[in-house]
Parts: sequence; C-alpha cells; structure tokens
Amino acid sequence: MNINLKFPALLAVSAVLLAQVPQDPGSKAIPISKVERKNKAPVSGEVLRTKLPKPVEMTLPNGLTVLVLEDHRLPLVTARLNILGAGALYDPADSPGLANVTAAMLREGTASRTSKQIAEQMEELGATITAQAPWASETTTFMASGLSDNATQWIPLATDVLLHPSFPEGELNKLKQRMKVQLQQQRGTAGFLLQERFNRAVYGDHPAAITSATELALDKITPAMLAEWHKSRYVPENAVLGIAGDIKPADAMKMFQALPAWKAGPEKVALPTPTKAASGRRIFLVDRPGSVQADVEIGNIAINRMDADYVPMVVMDRIVGGGAAARLFMNLREVHGYTYGAYSQLIARRYAGPWIAQGSMRTDATEGAMTEFMNEINRIRDTPVPEKEIEENKRSIVAGFALSLERPDQLLDYAISLKVFNLPADYWDAYPAKITAVTAEQVQRVARKYIVPDDLQIVAVGDAVKLKPVLDKYGAVQVFDTGGKPKATP
Amino acid sequence: MRTAVFSMLLAGSLLLQAQTAPKPLQIPIQQYKLDNGLRIVFSEDHTAPTYAISITYNVGSHNEHAGRTGFAHLFEHMMFEGSENVGKGEHMILVENNGGNMNGTTTEDRTNYFESFASNQLDLGLFLESDRMRSLAVNQANLDNQRNAVQEERRLGVDNQPYGETSEVLQALVYDNFANKHSVIGSMEDLNAATIKDVQEFFRVYYAPNNAVLTLVGDFQPADALAKIKKYFGDIPAQPTPPAPDLAEPKQTAERLKTIEDPFARTPRLDIAFKTPPGNTSDLYSLDVLSTALGSGQASRLYQTLVKDKELAVNVFCYVEEHRGPSTFNIVVLARPGKDLKEVEKAVYAEVERVKSEPIADWELQKVHMLERRETAQALESTLYRAYLIGEMSVIFGDPNLINTRFGKIQSVGKDDIQRVAKTYLTEENRTVVTTLPKPKAEASLNPAH
Repeated sequence: MNINLKFPALLAVSAVLLAQVPQDPGSKAIPISKVERKNKAPVSGEVLRTKLPKPVEMTLPNGLTVLVLEDHRLPLVTARLNILGAGALYDPADSPGLANVTAAMLREGTASRTSKQIAEQMEELGATITAQAPWASETTTFMASGLSDNATQWIPLATDVLLHPSFPEGELNKLKQRMKVQLQQQRGTAGFLLQERFNRAVYGDHPAAITSATELALDKITPAMLAEWHKSRYVPENAVLGIAGDIKPADAMKMFQALPAWKAGPEKVALPTPTKAASGRRIFLVDRPGSVQADVEIGNIAINRMDADYVPMVVMDRIVGGGAAARLFMNLREVHGYTYGAYSQLIARRYAGPWIAQGSMRTDATEGAMTEFMNEINRIRDTPVPEKEIEENKRSIVAGFALSLERPDQLLDYAISLKVFNLPADYWDAYPAKITAVTAEQVQRVARKYIVPDDLQIVAVGDAVKLKPVLDKYGAVQVFDTGGKPKATP
Repeated sequence: MRTAVFSMLLAGSLLLQAQTAPKPLQIPIQQYKLDNGLRIVFSEDHTAPTYAISITYNVGSHNEHAGRTGFAHLFEHMMFEGSENVGKGEHMILVENNGGNMNGTTTEDRTNYFESFASNQLDLGLFLESDRMRSLAVNQANLDNQRNAVQEERRLGVDNQPYGETSEVLQALVYDNFANKHSVIGSMEDLNAATIKDVQEFFRVYYAPNNAVLTLVGDFQPADALAKIKKYFGDIPAQPTPPAPDLAEPKQTAERLKTIEDPFARTPRLDIAFKTPPGNTSDLYSLDVLSTALGSGQASRLYQTLVKDKELAVNVFCYVEEHRGPSTFNIVVLARPGKDLKEVEKAVYAEVERVKSEPIADWELQKVHMLERRETAQALESTLYRAYLIGEMSVIFGDPNLINTRFGKIQSVGKDDIQRVAKTYLTEENRTVVTTLPKPKAEASLNPAH
C-alpha cells in the first residue's frame, strides 16, 4: 500500500496507465465487449474559464532570462534552469554521452565542496539537485528544489554546483563504472531497445537518432572535456531560469545572487539541423529472447513545435490515441483485449519530431493488434471525424488545459515554452480558442499529410521467431539483436 | 529597461530575508456519515476552481482466497465496464471529455477510485461513483475483455521486465499467511479461473456504502455537497459488515534465502526484507526514520559505503513497505557485475550493525525531518492526491487526520528509538534475502534450416 509518502503507488496496480470512441468493433462473429454510451450523466455544459497567471520576468545583464511565479500555498520552492545548446543533441559525433556525463558530474564536486559534502549539505536541508541531458534534446535541465524554510541556504549551494563544478577525476572514474553497468542494464529492457531502433529508423543520420552512450566514448571522456563543455555550452544567454513557489521575486534574486556573475558566452544557439521524414516503409524487429509481449511503435517524422499545423495535430493525436477515451485504447483494449493500453503521441521540438502510435501486447495478439493499428491509421486519414467526436475531443483538451493551471510547475512549463519556441506572449491565453477553432477537415488534412502509410517506420521488440512472420506481411523485415547489431535472416 | 529592474531589486536589501517560522502543514478535515454507513471526509480548499473525489473501499488482495489471487484488482477493472446508467467505457469518456483525470488502483489493503474535475462538475463525479456503487452491470464478454487487459498488465509490469518477478518471490518468501504472501496482480491461472459469479458476489460483499469512504477535496460548499451526496448515495443499501481478513504472521525464527534467475536482468540484485510491526505504529515510524538515514539519498550510509567507497554496487536504497498488518523494512542493492555477492551482503550488514551500536548523527536526524516535512508538503500539492491519501488513511487506519498528524509522529522519533528498532527487527533470524541473477535466454536462429 502507499501511505508511505516516499513510495506512493509503489505497489498499487492501476486500471489504466493514462486514459474514446470505437465505431466499428470489427467483423468478428463471436460476442464482443462493446463500448456503450447511455448519456444519462449530469454534465455541466460550461467549460471553466481561466486566466493564466503570468510570472514576473527579468533579464540579467549577462542575458539570463528569469521567470518567477509566486505560489505561497505550501512552503515549497522549485527552480528549473533550461540551458539550450547544452543538450545531448549537440554531443560531438565521437563522444555520445558528453552532455550526459557533464550534467551528472555537476554534483560530484565544486571548487569549494566535495561530492560527499554536497550530498550531505543538500540532504540535511531536505533539498535536491538534479541535472539531466536527455537523448535527442537540445537542452540540459538543471533542477533544484526544496523547502522555502531554508531556501536561503540551499539555493546558493545549488548555484555553486551549477557554476563552479570541478569535475574531479576520481569521481569521474567512479561515475563511468556506474554508467557502463547502465549501458548493459538498458539492453535488457524492451523500452530502451524500442526507442533505440525507432529513433534510428525515423531520424537516420540526424543526431537525434542517438539514444545511448558507448563504452568506448565513456572511456575517452576526460575532466578537461567536461570543463570545456561546461564553459562553452552552459551559457546564460541560452538559458531560462524558472522559479515557482513560496518565494517573492526580489527575494529569489537575492538568493540567486551568484547568477549575475555567470559569465556570458558566445552567441545564441542556432536552430538545429532540420530533420526530414523517412521515405519508404521499413520494418525493424529487435529479437529479445524470452519476451512474452511485443512492444510496437509505428510512425514517422511529422512537425516541429513552431509549425502552424501544431494545433490541428494536437487534436488529431488526441482523437487517435491521446488517452483512455481515444480510438486506439477503446479499440485495442476495450473491444479486443489485446493490450493494457495503446496510445499515440506527438513529439514536437525546435526540430521536427515524430508522431507515434504505440502499444505492448502478448506475442500472439500482435497480428490482430497490427491490423487494428493500421485500421485506425487508415480511418483517421480516410474518414472525416464525426462532428460529435471532434467537439468532445476539443472540449477535452480545453477543459484539461484549464485544470492543469492549478499546478505551478505546469504554469512554469507554459511560460518557459514561450521562450524556447519563440512563441507570442499571448500564445497560451489564445490556446483554448485555437483548439476550439480546429475543424474535421483540418484534422483529416494533417493526418493525410503526416501519417503516410507507405512511409511508416514500424519497429517491434520481442520474440523474433514468432513476430517475424506477422511483420513480413507489412514489408521486408530487418532483424537486430539486443546488442543493436543486425542479425542474419534467411 | 529590464536590466534596471534587476539592479533595483538587488539594491533593495543586501540582507537575506529573516528566517520566519515554518509554515504549518495542516488541512481542514470534516467527517460525516450517512445512515447507510457511508463515511464522508471533506477537506475544503478554494484556491483553485477544482475538486477531487475518491471512493476508497475496504478491500484488497488481503481479502482474496486461494485460487482467486489477483481478483480484487480484476474486479477494480470491472468497475469501468458499466453500471445501470453508465455504459462500458463511458466513465472514461465522460471524465476525459470534461477535462478530468481518473483512475482506480488496488493494493493489499484497499481499492480506490478517483477523479478530479472543475468545480462546476460536482454532480458528475458523485453520479459516476454512486452509479457503480449501486448497480454494477457485468457480462461474460466484458469480464473476458478485462481479464485480457489485466493479464497484459501483468506481462507489461512483471513477466516482460528485468527483476519483474523479484518482488513477487520476495513477498511469497517473507510471509507465511496466504493473505499476506500472494501478489496484488495475482497469477495467470487464478485470473483465468475468475467467473461472473465471483464478480457478483465480491460486489455484494465488499462494494457496499458501509465498507467505503468518500473523500471530497477542493472547491465545494459543504452543505451543498452533503445534500448532493445524500441524493446520490443515500438510497444505496448497506450490507452485513464483511469479515476482516486474518493477517497474523507467526514469528520468524530463521533467515530465509532464495536465488532466482532472470532472463532480462544484466546484473545481480539483492532484495533484503525484515518483518516489522503493522503500519501507523510507533515502531514503524522509527523504522521509517531509520530507512531514510540508512538508505535514502546519495549521502546515506549505504550509498556512500557500497556505491562510492567500496564500489560494490551501482545503486542501493531502503524503504518501509507499510501495511495495515505485518509490514517490512527493505533494502535493495543493485550489485556491480563481477563482485562477490557475499561481500556485498557483508558490507550491507556492517552498516546495519553500525546503526545498532552507535546513535545516528544530528545531521542525519535533521535530514529526516526536513525530507519528511518536504514530502508532507508535496503530498498536499494536488487536490487529487490529497483525496487519494485521506481516503487511504481513513480506510486502512481509520484516521483521516493522519494526513495532518503523521509528520509529528515522525518528528517525535528519537535517536534511541532508532537504535532500539534496529536491534529488535534488523536481525539475521528475521531476515529474508532474494538474490536475482541474470540468465539471458539463448537466441534462437531465425533461419528454419538451422
């Protein structure tokens, strides 16, 4: 059970991982489990009207943008620094993992503190520091959070970790050993193998295809390389610091008093190399012996976040697979029982990312599930979404957006996204109206434009002996082992 | 001139803000009860125009009998399959179309259902929960469908994951009483054996108003909400009080050991569990404090020794798994490949012995207080999670106010309490160790000619 606040829901088993409307449940003659609407529930037709709280915004002389969002309900403060240009996307080609290792090494020592001192001082204050450089991301994210009671103590400590890391060699060697074990561990996980093959399929030669460091690259990383990366890439002009919680803007600036001294670096980071959709349908299968499920992703590169088609794509994605009421979930789970959940997602960054349909199903249900994935892809392209269904989905997005404004971290996310994607200042105020204006014609247009059946990249991870005959029907299958190497097939 | 704004702020005062008294972490709790036995807990909060509702039923896998493991959770899925006035799947459609969040979860001790909405949708949440409490509709096709979904959930979370089986094996080895020793997700065989009759009977016995707590948190008016709750739930009949499961465990007298092989793991893992008293007892709070000092965070004793100094492990952490009945204190070690596991275990036990022989340091106790205060505050951030926790505390420990008093109980734990519980419970004969060893399956040839 999960009274223990430290491990909420550790053992809880949930009805759905996240959370629409199947039409034709298929042509099978056997009794089926049908989704049904009785329309008897008392629903208020009024959608909550919201006013977006605006953070206080400042720009320091060194170019750093600071956003402060006050929320004094609870004694908590969260600070999140997004540093554009310091992410794994910009790792040198021969050094995958450099951004990652730099981020992980920040807390392993500064000019005035050892790794152990940093850990002890932060934990004694009940505060945490994390720094991450996720794969395919342009950004390194540095987060520090804790109680407002003692923020005057942990914020300067976090700032020291951010600005003055010493990258001690002994700690680096220890970190490398731990990371090498992770490199092995991840190859046992279906999720990693799926992501690795899918990113390679859709991104091709683009650096966004990289999803892992290598042992060789880790071996070559030196403290000097980390210091150089930190100096040249952790640049205030390219960073946005968002602070939310029980703190006043003036006090926040006092606590972060070391930040104005953060030295300005080179010019703003340029937009990354554009990506383009893979052409020609390809099928990749990763053989993971012992698997009892197939993990499947189907998709291709679609749009970037600044694209005018973003809003209709959000509505399209919601209809197809945005939750437990969407078509994929209702069809593959509620009607057919193939899976615990099937969803879709749209990844849109400063460069174009993919739209993906995904699910995990028992090996012998893969054939039926693949048929239904393709049916849903064809349906959204070939048939205009019925009026009621599109209206409900738009309402769902708008009402969900309103509800999300209760959370300061979410508000900060919205504010930071304006800076990162260079969106107009009133973007989020106008967002509900933009969603509401989307038409069924627009949804069908973007579906036809960005989901092209003949160019879809299909990736599956599982028992290749059983899955290959199922996938052969969709085209030539290329098989890989869990090490990422091509496997000979007849 | 945005730059000027900053300079002015800095010049305003160079002194840091004087420390003020820490903000109290207390939320209002009001309790009511309907004539049919439905317990109601309100916690008003008008800071955002939203509310959350949870219904927590006093039933979980602890109530299952042999041959029906996993049933409480399978039943939870059936609660989304329709009732008199809500069609199959319509619950999810109604919640999502109105911007809400929802789910249901099952643990050993309770099953809960929850939604959050804008405050103008109070009737919708109450209607959805009352309709399925009053009139669950089940048929064979829907049961078969959800049996499939649940079996996929088991494959996804257990059978297809590295270390997926480890916690199930540990639970079965630590406990002797059937009620405690089987997993919430249950076995494939038992899930296959569940019938419509089982569903109907389980619904009758456990899904009655007198076996549930309704929690409402957020922006509502109590008098109005209470009148609505009476309207929606008041006529649902009470049922005889279900028998409480016997959770008693015999005293463990010798260490228990088991080694399992895992096709997906790539490095050995040790799961060490010590049996402890039930949750919400002073000893368990002391053990909770000990687990934070010993194994939470990079400054913790176990992390510093095993990961940083001796480099025997890539990760190590502790936690207390708190139940209504017998509970456990757990240590998990992800070993470095190639290290002698005996040596790893010895290093863990050396740290355990050290907390018995000398009191923990002041900074470690301070760390526990600060982390607990922070976690308490974080638990109050969303109305949905508040409703979740209050319902859980009400059902399992009969005390919705525990959300306000728990932190005080943690704070009152002294250094001597920590030493005492370490000596009492973290002993060799009270220990259970499951070792998970990597054993990748051989790759089959895809070429039929081989």
